[in-house]
Amino acid sequence: MSTSPENPDRALLAWAKDRYPIAKFAEWAKHKTVPIGPGAFWYYFGGITLFLFFMQVGTGILLMFYYKGSADTAFESVRFISAKVPFGWLIRSVHAWSANLMILSAFIHMFSVFFMRAYRKPRELTWVSGIALLGILMGFGFSGYLLPWNELAFFATKVGTDIIGVIPYIGDPIMYVLRGGEEVTGSTLPRFFALHVALFPALLTMFIAGHLFFIQMQGIHEPEAWKAHPEQRKTMPFFPHFFMRELLLWLITLNIVAVLAVFFPAELGIEADPFSSAPAGIKPEWYFLATFEFLKYMPAHVGPLEGEELGLLIISAGFALWCLVPWIDRGRNPMMTKIVMAAGVAIIVFLSIMTYLGHSA
Amino acid sequence: MTKVFAPAFILVCVALSFEVRAEDLPADAGAEDLPADAKIEHLPGGQCLECHRTAGDGVAELWHDDVHARAGIGCETCHGGDPEQADSDLAKRRGTGYHGELSPSQILLSCGGCHADVDYMKVRQPLLPVDQLDKYRTSEHGKLLAKGETRVAQCASCHGAHGVREVNDGKSPVYASNVPATCGHCHGDADYMSDFGIETNQYDEYVQSVHGKALLEKNDVRGAPACNDCHGNHGAAPPSIDAIANICGACHSYNAELFLGSPLAPAFKEKSLADCVACHGKHYITHTRDEWEGDKPGATCRKCHEEGKEGSDLALYFTETFGSVRQSFEEIEQLLTEAEMKGMDVTEGEDYVEAARQGLMQARTLIHSFSKPVMEEKVIEIAENQAAALEEGYAALRALEDRRRGLAISTLLLLLLTIMVAIKIRTLPPLD
Repeated sequence: MSTSPENPDRALLAWAKDRYPIAKFAEWAKHKTVPIGPGAFWYYFGGITLFLFFMQVGTGILLMFYYKGSADTAFESVRFISAKVPFGWLIRSVHAWSANLMILSAFIHMFSVFFMRAYRKPRELTWVSGIALLGILMGFGFSGYLLPWNELAFFATKVGTDIIGVIPYIGDPIMYVLRGGEEVTGSTLPRFFALHVALFPALLTMFIAGHLFFIQMQGIHEPEAWKAHPEQRKTMPFFPHFFMRELLLWLITLNIVAVLAVFFPAELGIEADPFSSAPAGIKPEWYFLATFEFLKYMPAHVGPLEGEELGLLIISAGFALWCLVPWIDRGRNPMMTKIVMAAGVAIIVFLSIMTYLGHSA
Repeated sequence: MTKVFAPAFILVCVALSFEVRAEDLPADAGAEDLPADAKIEHLPGGQCLECHRTAGDGVAELWHDDVHARAGIGCETCHGGDPEQADSDLAKRRGTGYHGELSPSQILLSCGGCHADVDYMKVRQPLLPVDQLDKYRTSEHGKLLAKGETRVAQCASCHGAHGVREVNDGKSPVYASNVPATCGHCHGDADYMSDFGIETNQYDEYVQSVHGKALLEKNDVRGAPACNDCHGNHGAAPPSIDAIANICGACHSYNAELFLGSPLAPAFKEKSLADCVACHGKHYITHTRDEWEGDKPGATCRKCHEEGKEGSDLALYFTETFGSVRQSFEEIEQLLTEAEMKGMDVTEGEDYVEAARQGLMQARTLIHSFSKPVMEEKVIEIAENQAAALEEGYAALRALEDRRRGLAISTLLLLLLTIMVAIKIRTLPPLD
């Protein structure tokens, strides 16, 4: 036994080395590199998203100490957290702001991967798992929005689940299961709570594990030009060079969240009343605004389809194409690459305009 | 055996006859879809209706909606005559009891003949009161009619003659929200009322009053009073001074209780002042305002309590107290709004404000006790709630300062950490 009472740190390391392949891991970490290219800055957004997710987990667990997930108690418990629990307002505000920034960061990460064409072979599954992760994060946002059980959240959830109900054949059953009945009621809240703290975390953990596993297996994508000009290849060690820079951005992100939480704390509004009429100007969270706004522009009927059905069909088709991008643009046809890149720009412009219109409506 | 078959046979015949008639009608025909002739066909009235239908005097149409027609009561019950005769001379011949159009006094006797008959009514409409005729005779209308004044209202003036509907039927002239217009039809007509020496502005005043707006604009037929709720319906008369507190107190019970126990009640009685009416008015009753109190010209209290005279100190106390309470509310609102705009939770402060507002509402009711000690007790309660709300507002602003101070410190720490990491990055081995 190589323990030494004189140096407990080393003794612990020796104890671990004796049992686990730590040396192999250290060797692997020493040789792991990150490419340094013109778009190197965008690589950090994956890590920022992960950091914000850890903030979500931490603040989420603290909130669960006091949150009571039933229609009778939810609003008052959130009010108690905000008004009475020491630093409760801060935890809640950090949870809300880091959720929004996490989704924003995930969007930036996805589009940076897209424009760097990092989705191409052999990273097809990394791309698809990333899109799945973004979907789960949006599910987190949708389910978490209802939990304070305030008026805005209640009616936004009603609108959101109404949209799900438009999907032909499967929409109604899904909507029924989500709502726990025909309408959004007190029965809906425990379901959303269960999704928010049990199902989505489990799914997210699995997909994050898969996503990171793919990245570790295949390494970080390198610029296309390096294939033709290997002499231009430039990398930095992941530990400590890349990690320290990532840490720097995490600290800045943490500070941004703190400033937002202090100057714009999460509001609570008034308690949801299922029997009251919907207030004017009900809108979903910003990341659903584009979809919401797009559906509003749909005509009432288009041929045999309802306008909203057609809208959802277009969105679904677009989403499927987005998932299939690695197989559409394999890098063999420059024209196809140009089309796909142009489509990416068009999507960003479309989402920005629709979100702006939805926000200012 | 015959005893069993006979009723059964009648029932089958009735059912078949109904079936035959129903077949003649469109499948979806309701009573409203029936032609006028068909509607009248099944109503009591016999040959009287046949003539009046062709005469075009509208009686037959009105009769269709009349509760009495639906109860099977025929024309002859009120007017006499023989409804079986198609010839009008024969129908109205001597011996048939025909007396044609009824005079006001005859109307009373005709309606009262059934409605004041306890035995008759308890079989047919056991829930209807039977004291209408007795009450009517005590009313101003009844008294004048007894003196021979036939222009006064009698049963048909308000209920109608041939189209009498139930009181809870929205089309009835005596349905709660129709009562003001029904009364106003005569009482708002200056020419018609000129010989009676009473004002004719009651309807105009009432529609502008809180009661009128509640009844006519908000359709609060259960809560808001119409003319009859204060004056009585069949016994309609101006309320006596002694009755006013009891009449208003029927709804505003706590106010009435406080007033009747106050030192003002005997003083009003002594001076023959009409309790509630002396301050609130009669038909034009508006929302009370704090400006009513006080001893300045224009204030309600000033009507009796001149500046510096007996009672004016209490009036002054009321006006100053309410003024101060209102001013405090403004200050609190400003403070809480400022804190809320800065993102602070001020719900508890708002709860205290709400409690203080409730207290103010109760204090306004307590004015009717005209007692300084009673009011002081309530004012202390309001002040405590207002002070608590203010404290919540100030605490929120202090907490905001603390938050910003905490943010400044954490930002400083994070900045230090960031600098340390940046220095560490610069000290790392250079990249290839």
